[in-house]
Amino acid sequence: MKTDDQLEHLRKLREEALLGGGRKRIDKQHEKGLLTARERIDLLLDKGSFEEFDMFKTHRCRDFGMDKQVFLGDGVVTGHGTIDGRIVYVFAQDFTVLGGSLSETYAEKICKIMDLAMKNGAPVVGLNDSGGARIQEGIESLAGYSEIFQRNVMASGVVPQISAIFGPCAGGAVYSPALTDFVIMVQKKSYMFLTGPKVVKSLTHEDVSEETLGGAAMHASRSGVVDHPAGSEADAIAYVRRLLSFLPQNNMENPPLVPCTDPPDREIAALNQIIPENRNAAYDMKDIILQTVDNNDFFEVKENFAPNLLVGFARYNGMSVGIVANQPAYLSGVLDIDSSIKGARFVRFCDCFNIPVVTFVDVPGFLPGTAQEFGGVIRNGAKILYAFAEATIPKVTVITRKAYGGAYCVMSSKHLRGDFNYAWPTAEIAVMGARGAAGVLYGKEAQKAPDPSAFLAEKVKEYRDAVANPYVAAERGYIDDIIEPSKTRARIIKSLGLLQNKRDTNPMKKHGNIPL
Amino acid sequence: MFEKILIANRGEIAIRIIGTCRKLNIKTVAVYSDIDARSLHVREADEAVHIGPSPSPSSYLAYEKIIKAAVEQGCQAIHPGYGFLSENSKFAAAVVKAGLTFIGPSSEVIASLGDKISAKNIAMKAGVPVVIGHNLPIVDLEEIRALAAIIGYPILLKPAAGGGGRGMRMVASPHELESALQSAQEETRKAFGDNRIFLERFVSNPRHIEIQIIADQYGNVVSLGERECSIQRRYQKVIEESPSLAVDAELRSRMGEMACALAREAGYSNAGTVEFIMDSHRNFFFMEMNTRLQVEHPVTEMVTSLDLVELQLRVAAGERLPISQEDVSIKGWSIEARICAEDSARNFLPSTGLLTRYSNLRGSNIRLDSGVEAGSFISVYYDSLLSKVISWGETREIARTTLINALNRYHVEGVTTNLNFANSILNHPAFIKGELSTGFIDEHFEDGKAKIDPPLEQLEAMVIASTIVYHNRMNLVRKSLKPMASKVGLSHKPDQWHRYIVKGNKDIFEIELHGQLTSSDWSFKVNGTEYTVVTPFFEFYRRRLKLSINGLDQYFILQSRQNFIWTAYCGNSHIFEIYSPREWELAKYMPKEKKDANENVLLSPLPGMVVSILVKKGDRVYQGQDLVVIESMKMECGVSSPCDGVVEKVTATVGKAVESDEVLITFTKD
Repeated sequence: MKTDDQLEHLRKLREEALLGGGRKRIDKQHEKGLLTARERIDLLLDKGSFEEFDMFKTHRCRDFGMDKQVFLGDGVVTGHGTIDGRIVYVFAQDFTVLGGSLSETYAEKICKIMDLAMKNGAPVVGLNDSGGARIQEGIESLAGYSEIFQRNVMASGVVPQISAIFGPCAGGAVYSPALTDFVIMVQKKSYMFLTGPKVVKSLTHEDVSEETLGGAAMHASRSGVVDHPAGSEADAIAYVRRLLSFLPQNNMENPPLVPCTDPPDREIAALNQIIPENRNAAYDMKDIILQTVDNNDFFEVKENFAPNLLVGFARYNGMSVGIVANQPAYLSGVLDIDSSIKGARFVRFCDCFNIPVVTFVDVPGFLPGTAQEFGGVIRNGAKILYAFAEATIPKVTVITRKAYGGAYCVMSSKHLRGDFNYAWPTAEIAVMGARGAAGVLYGKEAQKAPDPSAFLAEKVKEYRDAVANPYVAAERGYIDDIIEPSKTRARIIKSLGLLQNKRDTNPMKKHGNIPL
Repeated sequence: MFEKILIANRGEIAIRIIGTCRKLNIKTVAVYSDIDARSLHVREADEAVHIGPSPSPSSYLAYEKIIKAAVEQGCQAIHPGYGFLSENSKFAAAVVKAGLTFIGPSSEVIASLGDKISAKNIAMKAGVPVVIGHNLPIVDLEEIRALAAIIGYPILLKPAAGGGGRGMRMVASPHELESALQSAQEETRKAFGDNRIFLERFVSNPRHIEIQIIADQYGNVVSLGERECSIQRRYQKVIEESPSLAVDAELRSRMGEMACALAREAGYSNAGTVEFIMDSHRNFFFMEMNTRLQVEHPVTEMVTSLDLVELQLRVAAGERLPISQEDVSIKGWSIEARICAEDSARNFLPSTGLLTRYSNLRGSNIRLDSGVEAGSFISVYYDSLLSKVISWGETREIARTTLINALNRYHVEGVTTNLNFANSILNHPAFIKGELSTGFIDEHFEDGKAKIDPPLEQLEAMVIASTIVYHNRMNLVRKSLKPMASKVGLSHKPDQWHRYIVKGNKDIFEIELHGQLTSSDWSFKVNGTEYTVVTPFFEFYRRRLKLSINGLDQYFILQSRQNFIWTAYCGNSHIFEIYSPREWELAKYMPKEKKDANENVLLSPLPGMVVSILVKKGDRVYQGQDLVVIESMKMECGVSSPCDGVVEKVTATVGKAVESDEVLITFTKD
């Protein structure tokens, strides 16, 4: 062959590879209102930055007629590119090739970029759209999955791993996204479950649709598997890009610093009024977060799951931080099983990647009741406690109102190595609410009193005046300062500045044993 | 003059009165309910007295408590403001009985002018033209039917007691009479404990013109020109101006003289307003006299350079009027916009919540009468008026553009307001031409939006503002990451011109922009039209952006909604979707998912209290039929069925408070 022909041959092969499963299947994908793997990569990465690996790789299966179904690239597009100039490694499963099913070679391609990402310290983004294991290959396909899982686990805490689900993701395949740091699903277009509706029906006679069993809405609100249910593919991709803008490339880097146009000492008059006069009335913690962070920009994670605890990313004076906050507007902001797990996982992620955590506390305690105790609120509540205690990142805490009992200890208190702990003058820091405390302390005495209820009411008031304020804690140094709410932003920024070079360590060990 | 007075009101009017008192060295005492403990008027006043729980009947309407507070604090007079007790003759009498001065007309005058029928008689005696109608309060349907036939349809049913448009019903033809009467009486019975109605001929599409008068206790009465308040929704004024395009000098003095004659006939003292309706031939008819300071009094103050509250205080203190009719001259033009916490797109339902951002307006020829600040809580208990923005100009056009510019930069966040709605009225061609009538909003607006499209240059300006913020925000992140960026390079050269496709309203705009993040000069092409744009130093947190577009300063309010940007300008508000050319190309494959509407449940559209439930389980209902009535901020509003179906379950309970989006009724759909 002459050189020109050789070049022509390469170009032709490339053209073929770019078509994946062929024009017809691409059209079909479009008809379904879905993009192709390459179109998704196109939207995700900076224009013209994508370079592909293993475009010519094909599967090795010769059984069940597979020798006649060979496609260049074998159903997954892998490579690297940049997002806002920083390198990421990407794989995108191509549904137009054999339904995106995973083969041994397909898995090898994914493993290759994961290894590169680990070695070079860059995030991995997986764009999932796959029917599952390639049945024709059998056990080799399972081996492929396992190789990916192993790498997911090894990469965990080394580089950020993000999964976006655009189509089906069922059976063992779900565990790769499940092991990654963030999972985004497109509403109504994608689903994730271990066993599909047909199997469910045959085994348990339960009639359930794919959407109900494993749709984005369900996972985002009930199972907590999903961090963001996206309205469209473009929304899912934009979420990934935005998310990465808050994160460092790997665990050895600090998170990016963005020039800040929002004055660091901006006073926020509205915050002096935000706590309602009625101390049991709800208010929206999101208002406090939005007002204090840079440019009103709060990037919320797991918005619909356990809304009694808010978590997400924001910036203070350009510095990336993770925010954890009780939400009094939902279930009075109590801690329960779901919110503890949500908070714990988020704090641990921040700790992995050197992202400081700012905690806003207004928590009446842990949710009581059989449902919670039977469900293991002890074991699960311990997770958030463990996460805060173990974290060595800068930790700044602001108590806006209630901080009662065990929940006070848990929410990044001074005693769990909180670096700077502030309270608003409206804070009530105590072992329990005034009513409960008076009952315990004066219950017996009250019975002897001429008017027990009046006696107790008097004691409740006494207790409230004496204890339910931030000054008792401040006297002991558990609170570093009592601050005016309007100056909260300035104080948080100053504190984070002071902690910029914080170094703290945990004892050498293989790993701790978090109560999973 | 008084040394100390009590202000029996709240919000902007209390603060307005305090302002004049300060000027005159009069000490002020504010009153407040539970929920108002931290309100601005409490802090502005020299002293403040707590008078009870939040619902107004136990606080701002509980006049014994208010009078007691005034006596205990050593006040010599009480200013009632507007609303609440301002037109309550029993209150005025009780104030006098307690040895204090009521800043307003005497109790007897309030009573005689407050009753629409006796007011009409006084007007007729003073020679003021009145609308054809029947002068006796009646209750009986058949009697009303017979009279209506004589007067001729369309007729207007007016409650004998009360005001503010409550219980007023227009009846176009005889067969609508019965149901209209029933609902009118129902409403007035509940509101005022009185179901007497009187009838008059309905003047279609009239203008609302009113004359401000001020009278002292010695029979001197002066008229201070007119105000036009034709722009109303549900009988509540939105935009007011003085003078009126419909009134010339001759008519002004004729109407003024009549208003003064009426005041003399009634034995009136203090400030008052005589309201007229005017038909298309400039015939005017007496409607009613408001025996208090009006919400819209500032426009009169702006064109007369008088302080009406000061005059009120002086005449109440027994001084003679310091001005005569010859001293009054109208200079320039003034327009006022009322800013209320309400959702114009949802039938003006009140909205509640915390004001998270609030910027007071400054600027020449702009006056802001505001009762709120950042951190104020807007509750369901009181009127939804937050503030009034008033402009002045040599001409109407200058006053109008000055007000539009002010509203463009007025930043209120946290609750839904009618800011954009008011602004779009000012921008409407019919308003510019002065073609006003009380039917203006129904005629030109639908669901709070103008029926005509905004001018292209306004839309393009909004596109520019949205795109520049989007572009710079994206690039700020990109630029900050540059030190960490890889040196792997790109396979294409970055473009000099950045291209975007912007979708907004229902239009598509192709944008090219050229400029550097560090510089403030930008070139724009919007669908080929070139613009030069100068930006300030970006302060996104303000979300209020000033841009100079082709040399003219413009203000925009912007909010990021994920990758979309909501922009408000000149009364238009749209979400602009900004796409890169590649995203736009692929967007066609990503159909927008329709949101699952909660179609088989009836949700409460606002927080409030359920006052009645009109259906029961098993009832067949039709889309648009009112099923539940909710009261919020003194307003009753029906909540209508979203679908045809059968009522499966009624979850709402009469007398119970509901939150916004709470389920009221569940249906089974067919």
